[in-house]
Amino acid sequence: MVIALKKFGTILTSRQMGKEASAAFRPSLSNLKKDEIIEIDFEGVSVLSPSWGDEFLTPLILEYKDRLILKNTKNPSVQATFKTLKEIHRFELLEK
Amino acid sequence: MSEKKYTSGQAAKVLGISKDTLRRLEIARKLKPIRLKKNNYRCYSESELENYSENLNPARVVKKWIEDQEGYEPLSSSYCSFSSLFLLRLSRLEQVLAQVNNLTGDSSLITAIAGEIGNNSFDHNLGNWPDIPGIFFAFDIKRRNIVLADRGRGVLATLRTIKPTLKDDKEALHTAFTEIISGRSPESRGNGLKFVRDVVANSKLISLFFKSGNAELSIGKFKKDLKISESKRAFRGCLAVIKF
Repeated sequence: MVIALKKFGTILTSRQMGKEASAAFRPSLSNLKKDEIIEIDFEGVSVLSPSWGDEFLTPLILEYKDRLILKNTKNPSVQATFKTLKEIHRFELLEK
Repeated sequence: MSEKKYTSGQAAKVLGISKDTLRRLEIARKLKPIRLKKNNYRCYSESELENYSENLNPARVVKKWIEDQEGYEPLSSSYCSFSSLFLLRLSRLEQVLAQVNNLTGDSSLITAIAGEIGNNSFDHNLGNWPDIPGIFFAFDIKRRNIVLADRGRGVLATLRTIKPTLKDDKEALHTAFTEIISGRSPESRGNGLKFVRDVVANSKLISLFFKSGNAELSIGKFKKDLKISESKRAFRGCLAVIKF
């Protein structure tokens, strides 16, 4: 499964919007097959911050761990957000 | 709907200047007052003030707003009364920064930290605004600064709900910018300012001034050390000036 984050917007900064995106997206995970990889695609995202990331990404990372792969993550705000989330939650992130 | 009108006193406040300066601007024909039909009183239209405010440094305008005893709404162009409006203007900031020479990747980082600071104001004061809800948000590309401020409860009052032992504004600012506190919080929030610090400290372009209560700090380019000091004048909310 591929999640194109740009479908939720290109500026992903607020906690409230992260919560709403998560609530909208969660039902589609019910179609996920056992051991299926989830790719989160950051292509087209121009700004990401930890508040949005903590609401949308953190629950997915904690739940799916190494089945979750992050791609097109070169944007500096995406990288800076990953650094903060890793420090807070002490998890590893798999980037493609 | 008729346009909003401001008395001399109100006009001086929203422009962040004194009444005397306002009068001098009028004499110099830089600001044109209008007369109210009902009593012939002199006042100013919002569009006249908005036009003039384009020349002003938002870092100066905000000082009067945040230190005012009673509180008043800033001019529309620098006022986000709710978070969706802030998000809209944040995307405008990102578009404008993307056009600035020599910023490239830093434009996304600058927008991200402005987003964290502004959203913090909304998240921490929702339903608890002491007087004026929302934030002052303005940017000046020529002067290369971004100003965000709120008249909310301030960092100390917010953090004390999670860490009741905090004794003053200086300690609260230090905690906000250095400690990971989400693990102890009833809600998973409160790490945005650590992200802000990290971004500024690792950038060669960005610097930050932040003030809440009677404590203020500055983080310089490529400097991780926090300089927190006591300021002469205190106010209740938060003020941030990002320079790039």
